[in-house]
Parts: sequence; C-alpha cells; structure tokens
Amino acid sequence: MSVPAHKDQAIIDNAATVLNEMRALCKSLVYAALLTDDGFEVVSLPSYHQTDGSRMASMASSMQALSDAVARELKMGSSEYIIIATQTGYVLQLRVPSQSLVLSALFGDDETLGKALSISRLSAQKMSALMTPAAV
Amino acid sequence: MAEHVILFAGPMGAGKTTAIQTLSEIPVVLTEANNTERHVADKATTTVALDYGEIMVSDEEKVRLYGVPGQRRFDFMWDILKERAVGMILLVNNDAPNPIALALEFLEEFSELNSRGGVVMGISRSDVSGGPSVDDYSAAISARYPELVVPVFTVDTRNTSQMRLALMTLIMNIEARSAFTLNGSTAA
Repeated sequence: MSVPAHKDQAIIDNAATVLNEMRALCKSLVYAALLTDDGFEVVSLPSYHQTDGSRMASMASSMQALSDAVARELKMGSSEYIIIATQTGYVLQLRVPSQSLVLSALFGDDETLGKALSISRLSAQKMSALMTPAAV
Repeated sequence: MAEHVILFAGPMGAGKTTAIQTLSEIPVVLTEANNTERHVADKATTTVALDYGEIMVSDEEKVRLYGVPGQRRFDFMWDILKERAVGMILLVNNDAPNPIALALEFLEEFSELNSRGGVVMGISRSDVSGGPSVDDYSAAISARYPELVVPVFTVDTRNTSQMRLALMTLIMNIEARSAFTLNGSTAA
C-alpha cells in the first residue's frame, strides 16, 4: 500500500516549495493549500487569516467533487477551475494535472482574477512536474 | 407531487453509496475521491460531498435520496443536508470497531431528523463478522434514547427489496407521524 500524499515527506516538501514560490510571485495571496482528493491537507502556507486548515481542506475537497459532478452531469468535459468571488477577494481552486491533488488559494481583492488564475495554473503545473519522474 | 428528502448517514464503508445506487431510478450523482484512508475502509474511493438519487414510491410521491460522507471532517455537509431532510436511514457496518457506539454517535449527531420525521437503522455486513445482533442495537438505542422508536434491520445494501423495505418503513413512519401531528393539532 503506497504512502498517502499527505504523509509522504517528499511530496510535502515539493508542495511547500510550490506554495512558497506562489507567494513570492503574488503578494496578495492570503492563503493557499495543497490537499488530497479526499480532503487531507498536504501543506498550507502560513496564513495571517484565521483559517482552520483541515476544515478548509475538507471543504475544498467537497467543492472539487461537486464541480466535477456538475461538469459531468452537463457533459461539459472536466472541471478546470472553481472560482468563488466575494467583495474581499477570490478563492481559486484547481486540480494538479495527473495527480490526486487539489490546489486551493485565497487572493485579496487587490489582485486581478486573470493574474490569480495564471499563477494558480502555473503552480499546479509545477507541482505536477515535481511529482512526475523525469523521462530517461 | 409530494416529495420527501431522505438522508443516508453512517460511517465510511457502511454502504451508503451502494444503497442509493440500489434504490435510485435515475443515474446517481456521485462525488467520489480517491480514498487515502485504506486502513479505515479498504475501498478505492470515498464520497466527499454527497450522493444523490431519486425514486418514485407511488404515482404522486417522489423520494430524494441524499448520501452524506461518513467521515467527521465532512460534517459541514451533514449540517447542509440535514436541514432539508425529513428522515434518515442510518447504515452501520457490523464489522466496524465498536459499531454500536458508532450508531449512537450518528443518532446523536442527526437527532433533529428523528424529531422532525423519523429514523430507520440498517446493519450492513452482518454476514461477514460475529458482531452485535439486531437486539443488541435495539437495546442500546432504547437505553440511550427511551423516547425513540427506531426500527432496526439487517440489510445487504446491494439488495433492492431489502433496501426498499427499509425505505418504505421510514416513509410510513414519517407519514404516520405527520398525520398524527395534524390530527392532534386539528383536535386541539
């Protein structure tokens, strides 16, 4: 039985690297986490926000599964992003390509949605690349 | 058309998704994710938001079937879904560690459904272990909640007639209680 991602030190280290680079690229990033499909936090950025990381991971997992179910029901292909826009910022969420991981991030309202999307997508791709063994 | 919303609750591995798939007359909406807790329940995927199915129990009566995730870390989904439900089928797998305590825990968590409508309990996987008997569950529930009437069945969640029996028992309890309440208020 393989080690789950949230208990695999190599994956945890890679996830921390990706999130730290994400924060360096985007000062309006308030909170970000990588989590398993079934709602366990792999790693999250230290947050100034009052955030219960494990609860956020569970909620993000449910949201991801619901968005996948809606896309499937409507025969729209697979869900690429989830966006929750509020008066004070955005929550952006997407799958790490080819992995059973989800990236969830909260941006302040001083960020443009386009830049938030771009940074999130690049970070998810970076995480995927770090987890994929290099071709020989 | 009358509609009922029924929840399927219970621990991971009790068979909630299977029960809804067995009963539903529409393709079931699933929110499965890869299960990283294989030591808790040895299955590839687990429900992380809800399951949804529908069944007509008469020409004029539709039942909406919602399954909730079994893990407590998804209890926000319990709160969302129990608000709209009138009854619950509580499923507990008899080979779980201390299944009676689990049953009591879920009854406590979803107690408002009993006061609003009704609860039926199904013991699954009773054929694969020497766990507690139906009487053991009934006695424990009566001791903890003397005011509750909770029918207890052993069920194979893959068996349509067994699951229909559990569901119809619940619907009849809900309707009987509703009629009783209505008559009581009319008489008053």
